[in-house]
Amino acid sequence: MTKVMGPADGSGLLQIQSACVSFGAVEVLAGVDLELRKGEFVCVIGPSGSGKTTLLRLLAGLLPPTSGSVTFRGKAHTKPSRDVAIVFQDYANALLPWRTAEANVSLALEAAGVPRAQRPARIRELLNKVGLGNSTQKYPTEMSGGMQQRLQIARCLAQEPDVLLMDEPFGALDAMTRQKLQDEVLAIVAESSVTAFFVTHDLEEAIYLGDRIIALEPNPGRVCRVFDVNLPRPRNQLSTREMPEFLRLRRELFDFIQQFEQ
Amino acid sequence: MKASRQMFWFLASVGVFVVLLAGWQALADARLLPRAFFPGPDLTWRALQRGLASGDMLQDTFTTLRRLALGWALASVIGVGLGAIVGTSAWARAWVAPMFEALRPLPASAIAPVVMLLLGLTDAMILTLIAFGALWPMLLTTVHGFSSIHPRRLEVAQSLGLSRVELIWKIALPGALPDIMSGLRLGLTVALILVVVGEMITVQGGLGSSILLAARAFNAPGIFAGIAVLGVIGLVTNAFFAWVEKYALRWQRR
Repeated sequence: MTKVMGPADGSGLLQIQSACVSFGAVEVLAGVDLELRKGEFVCVIGPSGSGKTTLLRLLAGLLPPTSGSVTFRGKAHTKPSRDVAIVFQDYANALLPWRTAEANVSLALEAAGVPRAQRPARIRELLNKVGLGNSTQKYPTEMSGGMQQRLQIARCLAQEPDVLLMDEPFGALDAMTRQKLQDEVLAIVAESSVTAFFVTHDLEEAIYLGDRIIALEPNPGRVCRVFDVNLPRPRNQLSTREMPEFLRLRRELFDFIQQFEQ
Repeated sequence: MKASRQMFWFLASVGVFVVLLAGWQALADARLLPRAFFPGPDLTWRALQRGLASGDMLQDTFTTLRRLALGWALASVIGVGLGAIVGTSAWARAWVAPMFEALRPLPASAIAPVVMLLLGLTDAMILTLIAFGALWPMLLTTVHGFSSIHPRRLEVAQSLGLSRVELIWKIALPGALPDIMSGLRLGLTVALILVVVGEMITVQGGLGSSILLAARAFNAPGIFAGIAVLGVIGLVTNAFFAWVEKYALRWQRR
């Protein structure tokens, strides 16, 4: 197993240097180096137990490393920042059920101290962007899973983040909704030049979305390989997925993940 | 379709009430018990009319309602306030929650003599009694509501950069509201019991004292009239509360 990525050289926007995370005696991540460069789309795959979500929580500042460091724009990143937004998989828990779609987005603006008068226009713009322009007054429980996840994304965009961390955001959605949301996220990222970090267990999703794919191995979680995705953008659900490069990567990732199956 | 079905069940439950009333009347007419001790709805209704005509009944009702509202409000402020503090702080929970469990099962009526000794036969005594008894359901449900915030919501709050005050006001409180509401409603039932107990002890006006005085005068219809008004108060306050709850928690019902 070759280690493709060397120690970060300090040019990254958000980076992890030789970070280890242990919960008691259990080592979840061991000596991880990772660097997110501005504007790139990084996907993370790996078998269960390889610490994908722990890695995301490190980048979010929700979890301090047991050893090693996390830096954001060159400074120690020890607690969550408004500039690093997180899209959680369990949208139902992440949204506030007593607030309408509009008010859920407003929460981010309220936290950032945006004056009341400026909020409605911003909210409208964000909800339109994620295709919820007609559901501003709906409560989350009145929305489908796909709509709720769009709403969470809108709230994250309201933070005007530099980095968007996504933890298996489409894991609970059906295949059609999933593909639609993949394209929407790609469009949003392309438009806002936000840096994206996307955890998934769907190999094809990782190839379809990413510029780079980081493959983790388990017990303890480590970066095993990094795959560069040389597929043209904008991507297309049909033609991109038929490209030889896509199929080659799919094969490689599949073989990679296969070795950990019992 | 759905509306007509609801109407049917509403009428059906009104029917049950009417049947009970008729049964009561039949039992009274059968004279199994002396009419002076067991009046039917007819005599109760007449006593009620007499009381309303003289103005006494209305005055007693307002007195009782006032004490009920004040005592319940006092319990709410203490219960929800204290519950919010204890519920949001893990160390406060570990520190004082066991004491709650020790005090909670105490019947509030048992401490009535203590309150009476301290405060005399006053309104303050009644309000204290209500507040002590109605406090517990409110306090415990509020603590539960505040301490069971989903961890994901705390992470969202951190990530959005909410201050501690904003976290409590915008996430913890609305999240705890369903629990708080049920506590307030349970507290209202306890408060209604204790306002009557308190009034029977102080005998300073109110429906509790009017029932007690009617009993001393062997005025059975007067007793039943007082009970009937208390029943209506219970029904109306509960219905009002259900309506408030439905509005405040409208996001839950969709």
